[in-house]
Amino acid sequence: MSAEVVTGRRFAAAPWVRRLQRPLRAGAVLLLGVLVLVMMLPLDPTANDLSQRFAGPSLEHPLGTDQLGRDVLVRLVVGARISIGFTLVVLVICGVAGTLIGTLAGWVGRTLGQLFQRTIDVLVAIPAILIGLVVVAASGGAPGLWSLLLAVVITGWTPFARLTHQLVVRERSREYVEGALAIGASPGRIAFRHVLPNLSRPLLAHLCLRFANVLLTVAGLSFLGLGPQPPTPEWGAMLAEGRQFMFNAPQLVVLPALAVVGTALVVTGIGRALERRRPTGPSGQF
Amino acid sequence: MTALLLRRLLALPLVVVAAAVLVFLLPRFSGQDTALAVLRSRTGEADPDPAVLAALRERFGLDGSWWDQFTAWAGAVLTGDLGVSYTARTPVSGLLWPALGVSLTLTVAALVVAGLVGIPAGVHAARRPGGRLDRALTAGSVLGVAVPEFVLGTVLVLTFAVTVPVLPATGWGSPAQAVLPVVTLAAFPAALAAQLVRAETIDVLGRVHVTVARSKGLPDRVVLWRHGGRLALTSVTSLSGLFLGGLLGGSVVVEVLFSVPGVGRLLYDAVLGQDLPVVQAGLLVVIVLAALAGIAAELLALALDPVARSAVR
Repeated sequence: MSAEVVTGRRFAAAPWVRRLQRPLRAGAVLLLGVLVLVMMLPLDPTANDLSQRFAGPSLEHPLGTDQLGRDVLVRLVVGARISIGFTLVVLVICGVAGTLIGTLAGWVGRTLGQLFQRTIDVLVAIPAILIGLVVVAASGGAPGLWSLLLAVVITGWTPFARLTHQLVVRERSREYVEGALAIGASPGRIAFRHVLPNLSRPLLAHLCLRFANVLLTVAGLSFLGLGPQPPTPEWGAMLAEGRQFMFNAPQLVVLPALAVVGTALVVTGIGRALERRRPTGPSGQF
Repeated sequence: MTALLLRRLLALPLVVVAAAVLVFLLPRFSGQDTALAVLRSRTGEADPDPAVLAALRERFGLDGSWWDQFTAWAGAVLTGDLGVSYTARTPVSGLLWPALGVSLTLTVAALVVAGLVGIPAGVHAARRPGGRLDRALTAGSVLGVAVPEFVLGTVLVLTFAVTVPVLPATGWGSPAQAVLPVVTLAAFPAALAAQLVRAETIDVLGRVHVTVARSKGLPDRVVLWRHGGRLALTSVTSLSGLFLGGLLGGSVVVEVLFSVPGVGRLLYDAVLGQDLPVVQAGLLVVIVLAALAGIAAELLALALDPVARSAVR
């Protein structure tokens, strides 16, 4: 399921918030740059020091260490590469496949389009966790990144296909499409050069809104042990590992949880901002 | 409406057959010897006696071709025989039906809680968009959508079972044991319903019939609920089918997290233990249920919305 809900009108920001917006935006860009740099650092998430188990925050280990004396901050950063990178790969695959399939379904006739919609309705209803279980069963009970990818992609493209289909069907009756048809443009050219560029903003917004959903599904499957196996520091897997020690070291649970939820919130926020900027006048141009 | 119901029900066998083929074939792509894996876990020997292995394979019906295996399984399922679990060594139906009852109780309870919390929250937030209540509720719903079950469940256990031990962290049977799983499962649909109801109600409150109701002098509460909120409900009910499907998936996480003996946990254990009869029967039943829930939600939405109803006729 997704968070693809339009929440109506935008709040008027308080004056002091508006005055802060420009510096805040600059700060955000700076922060993003620093994050990208940190992501590129060569870090070893499995370097351990058994004399330093469950250590508190220190200069050497800013967020302390885990049950094997591994640096929690390093593991979170490497986990970010895995969790976020993996989610991006999934999104690109699902986005491209879903957009292509949806466009195609929007150009075929009405009956085929109806059939397409029925099929999608059923596929969307099947939860990714269940697909994950089937895929892991198919991999012989030995899950990993590949089975995880397959599990998320099998139904992950359907929301994109559904949205693209709806948008393309609506766009088709626009005058510019008629005009392109009149001067003899081929269907492929109209779809890719005229219609799809017009849909780029809603599709991009949807991509951002799906990001949180995919990230949470991936982390959830890893949490159940259906993804990359320890010692890989995927966030969901880290949280699952930390659960055994949550009585004595709750930070091993809380920190990965904050990482997952924080990332989901930030990207969802970007998606909602993109969606709000979409003008919805009668001409409905994007 | 009957025609629509018939059309949807006609599509159902297709879904069931497709699901059955998928559920049956996928685990067989593993290239792993299921009989060997089961025998190993039963006897603890790395290289069991080949004669025993062959006997076991024959007893499981794993020695024929895929087609023979599938027709044998499908035929048995059609007569209500779901097979025998490899690990528990008892009929699957004896494991599946009680577990399904637990899961349905859990998901329906979560759906009810989500509706009771999410719908009023959305309607009240819509009364004054941008107001203080609206901001608070919107912030809550954004957070509710971004926090996954496994994080929320863990945090709830950490808070209410570890730090302040007022509720049991695991198990199923007493109402106290149901609180944490139900709350964990209800958070996401509640937040989504609140967002949806809010957007719809804001839209509805701007329509002419609401102005008429107001100018008639109807009390604010009546306008808000009978003329505003009710119309917004149709979109939520049509989503509730999706919710139920999603909840069945989310309940896998919650059931594993809280040791609830539901169908999610049964499936999870069966997948990790290569217990094919349980995997096949369980997934088939859950997928069919998700599809049925979708149809039920569509009909419910029609029953609530006279305009859509006349369009279907």
